[in-house]
Amino acid sequence: MKSVDEKDWPEKSRELSLWLARAGLGDRVAFGKLYERTSGHLFAVVLRIQRDRGQAEDLLQEVYVSVWKAAASFDAARSQPLTWLTHIARNRAIDSLRRAQAQPRTVSLSRDEDDDSPDPAEALASDAPGPLDLLGQAGDRRELNQCLERLTPPQRQSVALAFFDGLSHAEVAAHLCEPLGTVKSWVRRALNTLKGCLDRAAANDAKLVN
Amino acid sequence: MDYGKPERADALAAEYVAGTLRGRARSRFEALLPSHPALQRAVREWQGRLIPLTTAVPEVAPPAHVWRGIEAKLWPAAAVQPWWQRLGLWRALSGTALAGVVGLGVMLGNPPPAQAPVVVVLESTGTTAVNPATIVASFSGDGRALVTRTLTPVSMTTDRVLELWAVPPQGNPRSLGLISANGATVLKREHLAVTLLKGSTAALAVSVEPPGGSPTGVPTGPVVFAGKLVL
Repeated sequence: MKSVDEKDWPEKSRELSLWLARAGLGDRVAFGKLYERTSGHLFAVVLRIQRDRGQAEDLLQEVYVSVWKAAASFDAARSQPLTWLTHIARNRAIDSLRRAQAQPRTVSLSRDEDDDSPDPAEALASDAPGPLDLLGQAGDRRELNQCLERLTPPQRQSVALAFFDGLSHAEVAAHLCEPLGTVKSWVRRALNTLKGCLDRAAANDAKLVN
Repeated sequence: MDYGKPERADALAAEYVAGTLRGRARSRFEALLPSHPALQRAVREWQGRLIPLTTAVPEVAPPAHVWRGIEAKLWPAAAVQPWWQRLGLWRALSGTALAGVVGLGVMLGNPPPAQAPVVVVLESTGTTAVNPATIVASFSGDGRALVTRTLTPVSMTTDRVLELWAVPPQGNPRSLGLISANGATVLKREHLAVTLLKGSTAALAVSVEPPGGSPTGVPTGPVVFAGKLVL
């Protein structure tokens, strides 16, 4: 399935903002439309972090229950709706890892016969893109691409693993067979570089507009 | 941990949004967030920088039972419960609210109108967009005059205004105009339909909007005050 096209964001944002505002006032139809348009994205984001499909489905329910309850507090002037929604979803997913920290990370393979979800084993062996591929695709936006190019390869890999797959510093370190301190500083420097670069790009855009 | 230093706040917000702030540090950060506007701003900025990266993740359609589960959790008995019935806002009038009501009654009651004025107390909805406050709205008995008054000033960023809405039992809210965040506002008569007090209004609500009011005709900002109309 295709991913959200970033170029469509501004227009999609207006529509999503409107549905969120209406959901905030108790409009279930608007909330249903919001779910229809955003659940594929939020589920994908959650599923990369919480790989247990059953748990990811439960999390997605919790996410939309909180979205319904918090919809009236969404401020379209301050946040993009999809950014706001995605942050809520990511937060839940990361929190679920925290709860499960004591247990080994496993995937349940049991399923009900009348369950319409795909086989979890199938999902595991999927051809889902790796975190670095995602970072590469996210860079379709010109300025983001330029900024991502400023990261060293290990910085890119650390940020991609942490951001897309929800790996902790320690897990990234184990994955890359590098010392924890090194990974921490890679992530910190990568975020700093991205900030400086993206903020400069935004400031230049503002200059061009004015 | 020192959250006061801007660089520290920014670095924490970055790790929070990136997802690498974990465990107790993450809980502490989330606990502090509601009372630290600078942290909130830093988090919003980092969300704006990093979250668009997730657009690269190919969508995965959730199975149909997820939506059914959401419906079952939110509306167990399929009872129609719009937000003004859900929010639990309707506590008894507080002492300050009563004082305000009496004040307004005196203001509008000279000379005494044929029908008693209808007073709506709008309480905070609990969002962090503005400080907790109470706004009292008073209709003249015939519904043709409406005055709002803040019992305590509402503090908010200078580039935002408050907009008052009449929320019907069904359908979209209708704007009654902008109101002052500090003191009394007399609403324009042309916004007040004669049907306002005759069943077309279930509640009043106030939302935070850009200057000039909502550009879309329905609330776009958070609903910060709400009060049910009791006739």
